[in-house]
Amino acid sequence: MKKIFGLMLTACMVLSMTACGSQSASTTAPAETKAQATAGTTAATTATAEPREAELNIMMSFPQYMDQWETYCKQFEDKMLAEENIKVKVNLEMPSSDQYESVLQARLSSGDAPDLYTLHSNNIATYYKAGNLTDLSGEALAGKIYDNVKATVTQDGKLLAVPIESQAWGVLYNKDIFKECGLAVPETLDELKNVCAVLTEKGYTPFMLAYQEQWVPQLMTALTLGGKVSGEIPDWVDRMYKDEGSYAEVKDIFGPIDLIMQNGTDRAMETGSEAGSADFANGKAAMYVQGTWASGTIMTTNPEMNLGVFALPINNNKADTLVNLSTSTTLAVYPESKEMDLALKFANYVLDDKDSSALFEACSFNPLASCHTFTPSSWVADASAYVAAGRSYQDLVLPQAVTDEQGKLLQEYYVKSITQDEFISQMDAVFKEANKQA
Amino acid sequence: MKKKTKQNISMLLFTLPALIVYAVFKLIPAISGIYYSMTDWNGLGKGFDMVGLDNFKEILSDKYYWQSILFTLKYVIVMIIVANLIALLLAATIESRQRAKGLFRTIFFMPNMISMIIGGYMWMFIFTKVLYYMADNWGMTFFDKSWIGDPKYAFIAIIIVASWGSVGYLMIFYMAAFQGVPMNLKEAASLDGANSWQTFRHVVLPLIQNAVTICIFWTLNAGFQVFDVVYALTGGGPGRATQTAAINIYEEAFRGNVRYGYATAKSTVLFVIVMLFTAIQLRLMKRKEQEL
Repeated sequence: MKKIFGLMLTACMVLSMTACGSQSASTTAPAETKAQATAGTTAATTATAEPREAELNIMMSFPQYMDQWETYCKQFEDKMLAEENIKVKVNLEMPSSDQYESVLQARLSSGDAPDLYTLHSNNIATYYKAGNLTDLSGEALAGKIYDNVKATVTQDGKLLAVPIESQAWGVLYNKDIFKECGLAVPETLDELKNVCAVLTEKGYTPFMLAYQEQWVPQLMTALTLGGKVSGEIPDWVDRMYKDEGSYAEVKDIFGPIDLIMQNGTDRAMETGSEAGSADFANGKAAMYVQGTWASGTIMTTNPEMNLGVFALPINNNKADTLVNLSTSTTLAVYPESKEMDLALKFANYVLDDKDSSALFEACSFNPLASCHTFTPSSWVADASAYVAAGRSYQDLVLPQAVTDEQGKLLQEYYVKSITQDEFISQMDAVFKEANKQA
Repeated sequence: MKKKTKQNISMLLFTLPALIVYAVFKLIPAISGIYYSMTDWNGLGKGFDMVGLDNFKEILSDKYYWQSILFTLKYVIVMIIVANLIALLLAATIESRQRAKGLFRTIFFMPNMISMIIGGYMWMFIFTKVLYYMADNWGMTFFDKSWIGDPKYAFIAIIIVASWGSVGYLMIFYMAAFQGVPMNLKEAASLDGANSWQTFRHVVLPLIQNAVTICIFWTLNAGFQVFDVVYALTGGGPGRATQTAAINIYEEAFRGNVRYGYATAKSTVLFVIVMLFTAIQLRLMKRKEQEL
């Protein structure tokens, strides 16, 4: 009795294991039968052929635009079925932006790469070297992208990714509060100090601080370094890469950083970026160092919000007061994709003449190709005005380790566990280490 | 002889499924990890070089790594004391109840069934929203602490959440052990005039020593590898103030300079440290165990 029972148990276990193993075999079976079926029908009638079934895996790093992209993928599925007679199933994955890179790297190195994936334009060089990008120069989309944007996604004369988010950004501010206090947009650090003083006097908190996620405080170094370096010491980044520069040269960046930290909301370390955006939308503070990508959350929280953008002043040199113009998110095609043809079709569809405009407007991305014909939102127009006046800089390309470290150290600087000098020496060391590893 | 082989084969068959899973998901990665720890693989490129013991030499002077090890050690010690004391107390209280034992056991075990990353995010909401709401609206100002931003309070927050998650699990071990203590021994003790504390201290505790060994072993082992709670609550921040060894390794492998090889070397060192600690702990505590 016991023996039989034991035998049955082992049988169960073995069965359950083999069941898992055979799954892959069973999924391919219907495809084969379908192929046989289509073969049979094509002999009779070629016109009403069964649609070919295909899957396209796409991974993107902006969960805040999940709805818009899901709709767009649906449109793509319909379009493919109608035009190419292919029944595509688009699997859209959106890991949170904090973990996106780790997930992507794990997938790439384990041979489970998505057919299309987004990456930051700063990483194009690395991914290109590793052989993870497809040359898109020959595609129809290449002719549509504006030249200054195209330059940010091109290497060795090859167009390596489709730009998606190319934006000008600086400090977000609440136009209604500024109007009520009779304030103008600050151009110098002294003017910014004055703005803070007036706001405090009128009972408003000047800055929204949301430092729980390290990338948010990091935005301050992105803006201040960008302005300072582009305005005064344009060779700083090059010298840093040659171990010949130092953060001591850009010590000015602490001017606005200190001002922001002193005039900010409480409990910064307990506030995440989304919560910060929502609080800012509800008028908890008048300004928020955050990119225009946060506008989605802000406008859903408070559709009445009068949102504006100004350039963060670094010091009293107006030449340093610039907005950041950068291509951040781009879409790349994996060269070993099983559905290469479809992947390229999707890449082209992102800049489709008919549908792309609506998508870019819905996500409030900046227009970046000739197919974009919408009028941008007020805050995008604000930032674009700086760009049009020549007051913008191209995002500095720093090693990822340096960017990460800046976020970490700013958190520590905020909780006062390090000083300015420690910040500087630590950043110099990290930059050198990153150079050594590269 | 023949019977023995047969028995062995049937035993092997029984354990085979588990053994295969263990080998594929634990043993093989662990062994290949030691190999990767001697390379400079970046996790992305297809090629890499052998660098011998360079990674291990570098670890010796890695300030942040040793800082994270120290933090982990602090966490382990506090967790061993706090979690086991609470679990023991809960087990004793529930075991002494006449009715509704099952209900309480289920309630306290429940958090263990939730993934700690989700539990961590739930508690994050409590620490960053609920407590501040209570402080602002109900005048409970002692909740108005920087629960994530101040390393001191962040550590308390981490311990609270980690204990919340693990106490139920430990409690089950202790309850099972309590049930194994023979009634007649306790009765004899009380006949001899021992009060309930004395009975517990001199009769029950020595008899559940094996459960104590297992529970401390488990807390020690799980504590050294702690990742999810801290990651969900503070992300290791502010800066690196609450970074555990596992988070330090994760960041080395997936962030910054993306050094898989070096990160693997770090985890190999962590493995050796954990092994040493658990071996010492088991040796020390096994000696104390009583046999009936």
